[in-house]
Amino acid sequence: MSTKTSRFGAFYLSLFFVALYLPVLSVILYSFNASPSTAQWTGLTLSWYRQLFSDRVIGAAFRISMEVAVITSLVSAILGTASAIVAMSVTERMQRAIQGVMILPLLIPEIALGIALLIFANAVRLPLGHFTLVLSHSLFCIPYVYIMVQLRLQEIDRSILESARDLGATKWQTVRTVILPLVAPSIVTASLLSLALSLDDVIISTYMSGPKSTTLPVHIFSMMRVGVTPKVNALCTLILVGMFFIVGLSQLVGKKQHKEAL
Amino acid sequence: MRTQRFCLLVGIFLIALLTVGVVEAAGEVNLMTWGGDFIPRAIIDEFTAETGIRVNYKEVTSNEDMQSLLEANPDQYDLAVVTDYMVDILRQNDMLAVLDKDKMPNYANINPVYHGAYYDPEDQYSIPYAVSISFLLVNPEAVAALGADPITSYHDLWQEELARNVVIIDWSVEIVGLVLKSLGYEYNETDPVKVAEAREKLFALKPNIMRFETNTPEDSLVNGEAVAGFMYSNQAVKGVQARPELQPVFPTEGMPIYIDSWVMSKEAPNKDGAYQFLNFIMRPEIAARIADMTKFTSPNKAAEEYLPEDFKNNPMLNLADEVVENTSFYIGVDKVMDEYEHIYLEFKLR
Amino acid sequence: MKTLKQNLLAVPILVWIGLLVGIPLVFVFVLSFLSRDSLGNIVLQFTLENYQRVFDPIYLRVFRNSLLLAFLTGLVTLLIGYPVAYITAKLPAKKRALSIGLIMLPFWISSLLRTYGWMILLGNAGVINNILLALGLIDRPLSMMYKFSTTLIGTAYMLIPFMVVAIFNSVDKLDRSLLEASYDLGASRSQTFFKITIPLTIPGIAGGFTLVFIPALGLFYVSDLLGGGNTIFLGNLINTQATRGRNRPLAAAFSIIMIAVALIVVSIYGRITKNNKEGLFQ
Repeated sequence: MSTKTSRFGAFYLSLFFVALYLPVLSVILYSFNASPSTAQWTGLTLSWYRQLFSDRVIGAAFRISMEVAVITSLVSAILGTASAIVAMSVTERMQRAIQGVMILPLLIPEIALGIALLIFANAVRLPLGHFTLVLSHSLFCIPYVYIMVQLRLQEIDRSILESARDLGATKWQTVRTVILPLVAPSIVTASLLSLALSLDDVIISTYMSGPKSTTLPVHIFSMMRVGVTPKVNALCTLILVGMFFIVGLSQLVGKKQHKEAL
Repeated sequence: MRTQRFCLLVGIFLIALLTVGVVEAAGEVNLMTWGGDFIPRAIIDEFTAETGIRVNYKEVTSNEDMQSLLEANPDQYDLAVVTDYMVDILRQNDMLAVLDKDKMPNYANINPVYHGAYYDPEDQYSIPYAVSISFLLVNPEAVAALGADPITSYHDLWQEELARNVVIIDWSVEIVGLVLKSLGYEYNETDPVKVAEAREKLFALKPNIMRFETNTPEDSLVNGEAVAGFMYSNQAVKGVQARPELQPVFPTEGMPIYIDSWVMSKEAPNKDGAYQFLNFIMRPEIAARIADMTKFTSPNKAAEEYLPEDFKNNPMLNLADEVVENTSFYIGVDKVMDEYEHIYLEFKLR
Repeated sequence: MKTLKQNLLAVPILVWIGLLVGIPLVFVFVLSFLSRDSLGNIVLQFTLENYQRVFDPIYLRVFRNSLLLAFLTGLVTLLIGYPVAYITAKLPAKKRALSIGLIMLPFWISSLLRTYGWMILLGNAGVINNILLALGLIDRPLSMMYKFSTTLIGTAYMLIPFMVVAIFNSVDKLDRSLLEASYDLGASRSQTFFKITIPLTIPGIAGGFTLVFIPALGLFYVSDLLGGGNTIFLGNLINTQATRGRNRPLAAAFSIIMIAVALIVVSIYGRITKNNKEGLFQ
């Protein structure tokens, strides 16, 4: 690539990231706003952070959200990847069936899915809680994992798989030693996406959570009647700071993996 | 092979989760209502400290969500706070327990003014918790600066000078109701002639509407993008706190009133705990603190003497008798909903 | 016999998702033909009224609005996202991972808050207006809120990562030798880009468009907050009718129509990618 394009590229990319992060920075900025309303700026304060740390509810909601999101992304990563790998070796008709089923959850409006799942869970006497949350969140996360892993799988040269088999590798060995390492980056990206999707879901969670499993987005949305406090901004600021650390860390890990792959 | 292994792992995981969800402690009360601090956690914590009963708080965003959740799992919830009309629906759907007043001596503290409302004529199923009304919040200087006459009634919102300067609650029944009142009719009118008249008048209001907003309409007056707004009392209170020159206007034509009320599930698992909780929050000093924290008018008569001065002196919270007399409920919403929704949609899409 | 065994492995996943989504789907479908009693409760009585009402001109306008918003969202995210994906794919491995990470990071903040973030930026007393006023570039706040375009900005903002990720996958797979061959044959950069790169990444473009279009049909709080309720979309309508409107059968009928529209988009996508033998759903 010529330096001219990469300079333009770097400029465009920076511009994009500025636009992407401006609203996020506004959220962070207003976590220091003395006024509880976003309609006015009345001065700097740290009191929302103090209030945040003494608020057990928001902390508990965040913990529940994290628990659900982590388990959801694990379950989705496993099931989504497994279905993508399985889809490689089934008959074409079965493959189409899997793909059809995979897109379904993305088509139904969330509120319709939420209400229907509530009635379904009630019909089979499933108590609402962490379990139902993970179950319903994985519904819309598995498809994304499936899609992304499947895209990656298509890049794999079939000849690699055949030579692995010729060398006497069992199916499971081929999956473990050839396929999984190749699709690992996609699994990681997809898991991060699942985590984010689960952490952000509010409508399905409203119907799928029990009295003891209010998630953070449900907490935030249900606050609207009495007013969303900047405590929430403060929490999101902390989450973001934490995430920057994790992304930085994964950068380091990714770098190491990359070297090993070479 | 590998799929079996995956399935096994996932299976074990899920079963473990399921069992965690099923374990239930004895001394717990499960309640459900709007989130944030609609029922202040500080008060809940005091109740737990005093009685040892844990309170789980399920947060929701609408009355209909509460109805769905309660009807799906009536044995999972003890208490809920729902708005008046929903008490009526749940009562008729036979979802509610008849309350035993003997178990709640503090029930006597409830202001008799709130007894015998349409949604619970014999006060068997509900206890009022938070009272609010809607009215206009106005920035008088800004209205004058636009060259409009001072706003004292709904009718004044139609002034041409107010173009794109009015914010209103985003809710069909409420806005059609506002127009009906401005014409001198009652809420939830079904007479086609009157409704048609209201429809025309509503459409004429469109040029003045800057924004439809249910949750933070007061912000538009605080940041100056609107000069008048129709909103709930707790929102107007916040608006005035942020910008003292804003003034409440109680429209002469009349206002809606809402009473968010406690109800008990017919299949409540811990009725005794629920009664203890209800009795606790009806203590005068507790009710006063709740009112002050949530900025809703308290239906608790005995609480009045414990209210802080600024609350008592606030006309939006300590409602004058003539204001209360000029309020009415939205009764029979289901009969008019579809038609009003349609009119409202036409209005918004103009 | 062998194919049967192979297919057997796919059964758990088909059951898992098929059951959990299929049953609700059937439920929504059945619900869309049911009636209500005077209290708004659903009763088991067949009616076509909900579908008759869907074709009311006023609702058709809502459909048109929604399709327009979803289409424009797809277009805007494509125009902005394509270069992002293209540039990212050409970055060295380390920077590339960083770029993808940075694109996903805002997702971790509640979308409600990010929407509030836009309100803080664009509001009358917001950040942009304050800066412009302080610089003396304007003497009264610009009115940037509560418009169709504000909703479009917010919706595109929420969904652009899907577009970027989809196109990125496509660009990433491009056979470099094709591009080099094009240069060798004397084609300019722009010729190569429009004649080789774009056609070869059509599956990614179509995939990204689908992943943006479908959710854009259903979003509702973005338009409530940023559009100031001045524009109504299918998502708002379904949500209102399912809750405060107390008309779940009508909401179900709208949902079925919305699913049908989404299916049409998916099938167009399927046709586009059929020959390429790749794509998100094939």
